[in-house]
Amino acid sequence: MTWMVWRQHRTEVVALAIFVSVIATALVVLGRPMHALFPAGSAHCLTPPLDLTCRFAQARLTQDYGYSTIVLILLNFAPYAIGGFLGAPLLARELEAGTWQLAWTQAVPRRRWLAVKVMVLGTVSVLLVAGLSAVIGWYRQPLDLLGGFDITGFDLTGIAPMAYTLFAFALGVAAGAVLRRSLPAAAGAFVLFLAVRFTVAGWIRPHFRMPVTRIDAFVPGSGDLTDGTSNVRDMILSQGFIDAGGRHITGLGAVILEGKAREQGGDPTVYLHDHGIQRWVVFQPIARYWPFQLIETVTFAGLAVLLLALVFWRIRRTAF
Amino acid sequence: MTTPPALRTRNVGKRYRRAWALRNCSLELPPGRVTALVGPNGAGKTTLLRLSTGLLAPTAGSVEVFGESPATNSVRVLSRISFLAQDHPLYRHFSVADLLRFGRSCNIRFDHDLAVRRLTQLGISLDARAGRLSGGQQSQVALALALAKRPNLLVLDEPLSRLDPLARQEFQQTLMGAVADGDLTVLFSSHAVDELERVCDHLVVINYGRVVLRGEIDALLAEHRVLVGPRVRTDPRGSRSVIEIKHSDRHTTMLVRQGAAPIMPGWQANPVGLDELVLAYLRRPADHEEQIA
Amino acid sequence: MFHFRLDTSSGVPPYLQLVHQVQQAVMLGFLQPGDRLPLIREVVESLAINPNTVAKAYRQLEQENLVTGRQGHGTFVNDSLPAAVPPATYTSLRLGLHTWLRRAYAAGLDDQAIAALFAAVHHQTKAAETA
Repeated sequence: MTWMVWRQHRTEVVALAIFVSVIATALVVLGRPMHALFPAGSAHCLTPPLDLTCRFAQARLTQDYGYSTIVLILLNFAPYAIGGFLGAPLLARELEAGTWQLAWTQAVPRRRWLAVKVMVLGTVSVLLVAGLSAVIGWYRQPLDLLGGFDITGFDLTGIAPMAYTLFAFALGVAAGAVLRRSLPAAAGAFVLFLAVRFTVAGWIRPHFRMPVTRIDAFVPGSGDLTDGTSNVRDMILSQGFIDAGGRHITGLGAVILEGKAREQGGDPTVYLHDHGIQRWVVFQPIARYWPFQLIETVTFAGLAVLLLALVFWRIRRTAF
Repeated sequence: MTTPPALRTRNVGKRYRRAWALRNCSLELPPGRVTALVGPNGAGKTTLLRLSTGLLAPTAGSVEVFGESPATNSVRVLSRISFLAQDHPLYRHFSVADLLRFGRSCNIRFDHDLAVRRLTQLGISLDARAGRLSGGQQSQVALALALAKRPNLLVLDEPLSRLDPLARQEFQQTLMGAVADGDLTVLFSSHAVDELERVCDHLVVINYGRVVLRGEIDALLAEHRVLVGPRVRTDPRGSRSVIEIKHSDRHTTMLVRQGAAPIMPGWQANPVGLDELVLAYLRRPADHEEQIA
Repeated sequence: MFHFRLDTSSGVPPYLQLVHQVQQAVMLGFLQPGDRLPLIREVVESLAINPNTVAKAYRQLEQENLVTGRQGHGTFVNDSLPAAVPPATYTSLRLGLHTWLRRAYAAGLDDQAIAALFAAVHHQTKAAETA
């Protein structure tokens, strides 16, 4: 039956393989000069204190490669493009063409038929994404200097992308079973994929574990308002000032306060220190990258398994 | 030890949400025979055919193919049944050779050479894309696929409805040839009655989701007669053997199922044609509860 | 090789049509004793007719002692055919029919009326005979 699955879906698989190759090539082409800014590798520029080459390279990065943020954001659609496009037609195409009546009266039981299709195409999609993720990982390495515990980094690296792809794949298959047509299934899966990804990345992930709160007093005379000890790659959830009465000052209030601190000219830290104002930040440290990857992967892989199980259950009982 | 019938349904019914598409259908297909399932669109033919091939599971009653329920989807029962669905669905971008390979990879028994011989005889190239073939050729490819599996029960859903007369003739030739080879029971649905007598031994008429008539065609034609006589005043419709009655000013025409019972004096008995018979049964209203012999 | 025909609009059951065609062919001499009737498969393929129908026709012919089936070889026309209708009887039947037809025309019946009258009496007589 494996030949059958390949023959039926070879157009999509080849198209996606080409798609992935083109993107990978583009990333290599775009990434080479970016990497060239860091002849000794960009990793050592992550830990302070930053030497001159690092500061210079970082400035060049921000100036010349600002567009890379957009590239990275767009790359977040890859798991859907790969998983959803393989998953949506898996069932839907048979249903809309009527060939389910042909396929399910051969000597292969319905569930086995579905299992083989899901295994083969699911594996292909995961492999494609794995390859692409490797290239993306290499590409965005220098961009770690600008951050990473977000959709420009976390969502594109590690094992999470493969879980996203499986999820998109399962959504496609399930949408196909319900809507019975490929295009609406692909569209429906896309909408749901975005909705769930947004929800998890935006609201749930920041709370996978209790975030860390840090309150630091300003050192008068240091002149430095930024949180020098916190890693640039941490996931900042909220930050601002906390006054002597324990009130948090964030957003516009923080901007105004900072403005006041700088009004007199000179060192703003003196003003803040004298008023008993401390630095306050709530964040997830980058050290939690792998535990968070695990939680995220298990979540999405679990959703994928649940969706596929539902489809397996329904396919036996339903009339099409 | 008698072998189980090719298909037996006992009071089978299928409900979709609120409506019953099929209700209380009991029939038995004699082995090695060709049975036609006749009825108007929406009568439940496709539902019954899908129940017979395991594509649907019954809501009520039972379906057995060679003693086993096809809804279990067991490899054993699936390998004995072939289904040719309405409009002969095929993978349109597959070549004919691809389709044969598909059949071989999904079935236990598959007589690839037989299928190739048949298709070559019909002038169908193995390299042609299925979607590019004519309707008649596509139906022949679908039939070749279905027969190469060497099924014991072949079920077809309106196989002739979209075919031109020549294609229809060729299709029937292939089908009858397969029946002649032995060990094959055929059930096909049709809403055209004229071709049936030549091709079928048995008939099942379905209307409003129920079986209204079934039996061997020759026996049915022998048992029914059209009686023409003087106008009757009483309404014999209550009688079980009167199928249909029509009055004009001076005379009455009745279609009756009486076998060889003697006719009343003054009445004339005429044989009834198959299409007339089927139409008369289809014209009966839905609420008429009929005892099927 | 003997060829069968099928007329689906005639109202006569297919197997009977086959039986009649063999009977006629034997009577008219187109089928001689020892001739082989087409194999069931050959009839099926040329006429697209149910093989059981052909089998039924051949069985009936065998019962009427017109043919004999030999397993594996085919069905053959019998050497000894049932007593044919003697030519003299044929001639007198034809003459009688001729006379009747002239009377019918003289009475003013047209072809359709004659055919209807014949069919009605034919049925009646047949029914009376089988009763």
